[in-house]
Amino acid sequence: MLSSTQKILNPPFIRESKYGPPIGERAVNLPEITVLDLRTLFPDIPETIYQEGGDIGVIRKATEKALESVNMDMIKEKDTVNVLSSQYGFQLMGGDAYAEMLRTIKDVVEQRTGCTNIRLRVSTGFRIKEPQEIIEHYKLKEYFNGKARGVTCLDKGVPIETEIGTLYGVASIYDADWIIHAHHGELRELDMHRMINRAIKPFAMSYARLETRGVAHINFGPRSMNFIQKVIFDSPFVQKKFTFGCFLLTSPAGITGVEASHDMEEMDRKLLLFDLKPYGKVRQLLSKIEECIVILDGSGEPRYMLGGGMTFGNFTEAELDLFDLEINPVSLGFNLYEKPPGPRVESVNPAIKALVINHMWLGVPQMELPGHIPTIVVGRDLEDIVNADPMNTEFMEYAVTAQNLEAGLRFAKKIAKTDKILVFDGSFGSMHLSQSMADFLVKAAPGVNREVEEELMPKWLKQRGIDPATV
Amino acid sequence: MRRVKFRAQVDEEKCQGCATCQISCPTGAIQIVNKKAVVDEKKCLACPNCTDRCPEGAMTLVPLPEPKILYVDPSDVDQEQLMELCRKAHLHPHQWGCMCNATRVREIAAAILKGAKTLEEIALMTGIRSGCTVYCVQDMLRLLKAHGVEVQEPSYPNWYDTTQSIWEVPKEKQAKYPGHFLEEDKDAFRKF
Repeated sequence: MLSSTQKILNPPFIRESKYGPPIGERAVNLPEITVLDLRTLFPDIPETIYQEGGDIGVIRKATEKALESVNMDMIKEKDTVNVLSSQYGFQLMGGDAYAEMLRTIKDVVEQRTGCTNIRLRVSTGFRIKEPQEIIEHYKLKEYFNGKARGVTCLDKGVPIETEIGTLYGVASIYDADWIIHAHHGELRELDMHRMINRAIKPFAMSYARLETRGVAHINFGPRSMNFIQKVIFDSPFVQKKFTFGCFLLTSPAGITGVEASHDMEEMDRKLLLFDLKPYGKVRQLLSKIEECIVILDGSGEPRYMLGGGMTFGNFTEAELDLFDLEINPVSLGFNLYEKPPGPRVESVNPAIKALVINHMWLGVPQMELPGHIPTIVVGRDLEDIVNADPMNTEFMEYAVTAQNLEAGLRFAKKIAKTDKILVFDGSFGSMHLSQSMADFLVKAAPGVNREVEEELMPKWLKQRGIDPATV
Repeated sequence: MRRVKFRAQVDEEKCQGCATCQISCPTGAIQIVNKKAVVDEKKCLACPNCTDRCPEGAMTLVPLPEPKILYVDPSDVDQEQLMELCRKAHLHPHQWGCMCNATRVREIAAAILKGAKTLEEIALMTGIRSGCTVYCVQDMLRLLKAHGVEVQEPSYPNWYDTTQSIWEVPKEKQAKYPGHFLEEDKDAFRKF
């Protein structure tokens, strides 16, 4: 029943980082791992213009075309402009597409407005040194004439008066006459954004001070938290500086295009319509898995590591339909993972029977993983980095270390009692998995296709005020 | 509970006394003396802020001979008072107050009932604000305010006093921004 036995020759790119171990053997080279093209499962996955290793000129052309419809008259020659970027864009397919979009934005703005004082801001979550790693790796300082700077949520803040009082942005995000919001539409943390104000989420996250990120994540619920980016974005302070947003569009297969607009509500609607079907189908397919071993083997932290264009974080909550706005996951705002007699709330999809971590970056709290899944860390190098990470000091109290990847997987199979394996290594367009998992997914796909098309998508759309008949 | 296994160490040759570490430290463990950073080991919780933000690479984390354990036992305080404080702050005592340490809200509440009046004091008693140093700030501020403590922002940008929550958004603001599920999420919180 297997669709493809093509072996992967070039595993997805891992960028070297101080937050991860040296790059060693890769999971896709394990003898039991094969590849399954997403179009075998869902033939209507959108066509891509770019996949990892492809012609980066395609991204430049698509960005230039998208920017043709954007008015830039507000930017004068002597003005200052900040191009705002967020670190996760650089984890999509090696990051080259996102970097090229940023370069192209700079070039087009310069050509059309004569303004040369265009500065890049690279913002991050918790990994304070990551922006510098990004700037160096993609040579962005050179491209932006020395004006590329990292931004963290610990940096000096700027007060933003909103409808609910003062919230704080990071001062260096807003220290220009104009800001250009350069983002992407990859699904990522559906449990938090729920496709509500997805397009402007960085205004409450990457571009915000730590307190404001906390207000959104901790003081509001899993749907209502997206109110925060709205009140920030709508504030006179932000509106006075905002020019336009430029987005890399994605599907689980890869980059499907570039869109730019002044109207972020329109962009939000576009992202919803672009994302719902392809991501909805892949996610719903993952929800059918009842048992598996996961191997993590990519850049970034586990939650945002991609496999078949879908994040591991989405798989950890796949048993919940999080496109359905009537479902409330346990969020950061009320995470209650505790054994009885405390409240019992599952934090991680029980289908994940064992977790083998071959490569990951630290610098993000992820205690819920070893606390709930038998976790095997591969290699002493990674174990040492985990032990030195202040955000995961107790991680290794709940995990074990394997000498190498084969040993880790062998141990995982004994615990999990399954040979169904899924690899999250940054791949788009295809899943890297075991034969038995591929057979299972191919068998389940037609039913999922019907379920999403006929039952779920109409519900998801209606919940967001969109008549399915008009789509 | 926090097991502190490291402490920050200054390389005086590299240190330029820029005070970035002092501004970033969540417990006030770093002072600049004679243009050099000096770390009070008793207050250092080995978070990544000084090491990662130092522009000169002058800060490193070195292992402690023995880890120090920081913990406030919630059962040490009056349980009714603890529950009442959590209720007033709209926080569940079993919630994670600090995700990096899996420290529960009840431990933060107990620290406050035992006399902690600042974020720094709570951090030194419980060990929170020693990982990402980000998300726990809200729980600390909300509990302090619920206990009637007047919080005071530091003179440098270590933290800003902003604690808007779902419970305080006026109805007219909700009406201005429909489709954000504020009432529905409040109901979900109430069920817990």
